[in-house]
Amino acid sequence: MATFPQDDIYQLVREPIDLVALVRHVRAPEDGAIVTFDGFARNQSHNRPTLYLDYEAYESMALAKMREIGVQLHEKYSIHRVAMVHRLGRLEIGDTSVFIAVSAPHRAAAFDACRFAIDTLKRTVPIWKKEYFEDGAVWADGELPPAPAATPRAKPAS
Amino acid sequence: MLKPVPLAPPSSAGYNSPVPPVSQTIRVTVLFFGRLKELTGHAEHSIEFADAMTIEQLFALYAARHPELAKYRSSVVASRNQEFAAWDTPLRSGDEVAFLPPVSGG
Repeated sequence: MATFPQDDIYQLVREPIDLVALVRHVRAPEDGAIVTFDGFARNQSHNRPTLYLDYEAYESMALAKMREIGVQLHEKYSIHRVAMVHRLGRLEIGDTSVFIAVSAPHRAAAFDACRFAIDTLKRTVPIWKKEYFEDGAVWADGELPPAPAATPRAKPAS
Repeated sequence: MLKPVPLAPPSSAGYNSPVPPVSQTIRVTVLFFGRLKELTGHAEHSIEFADAMTIEQLFALYAARHPELAKYRSSVVASRNQEFAAWDTPLRSGDEVAFLPPVSGG
């Protein structure tokens, strides 16, 4: 069984995400389960009606971080394939912003890996959501990614 | 806009002089995202300076020009060449540094 990312999908897109195609991509005869996470734009935030959302990303780093999550998934769980796609730009209410599909021979690994994937993405991938309301817009409260502590001795330039 | 720091004057020593120049121009690209981009008015900014500088000092340089920036210092993480980096990381010429507010993807 292929266990690494050459068969995976990690993408940032500006068009609607094709959920069915991604599920089809991770599905293989040797698998017995697929777990998916479909994150989509909610119609309110803190009880204020949301009009639409706008996502931006540090695209090169975001993709690198998504692939790093993929590496961790394959190390930690007995899974087969991963598809992880985040949409950027303007999203209307109900539009899928992030979709993750994980296939595995057995369901437990697929559930665990999918949960780890979305939790880690939300904490470490440099993507930002701006929420637009009737009376203005705000950057969503986010999570500060864990950054390395100060180095004991600065590395010399080489 | 930040003005580039002028280059160090050319050394009087010859081309093959073993004496290193007193200072060396460091050029980095700085990226701002989310509210930091709105605050500074820059998505991407190129800056040159003559002396060794850490990411912390670079942030302070921009905070001096955009005082609003200073109050976000505790809720910003930095990256260097697309890896999260400690604030005391020294910069090297050619580095891409980004200042990242709390992330809210998903």
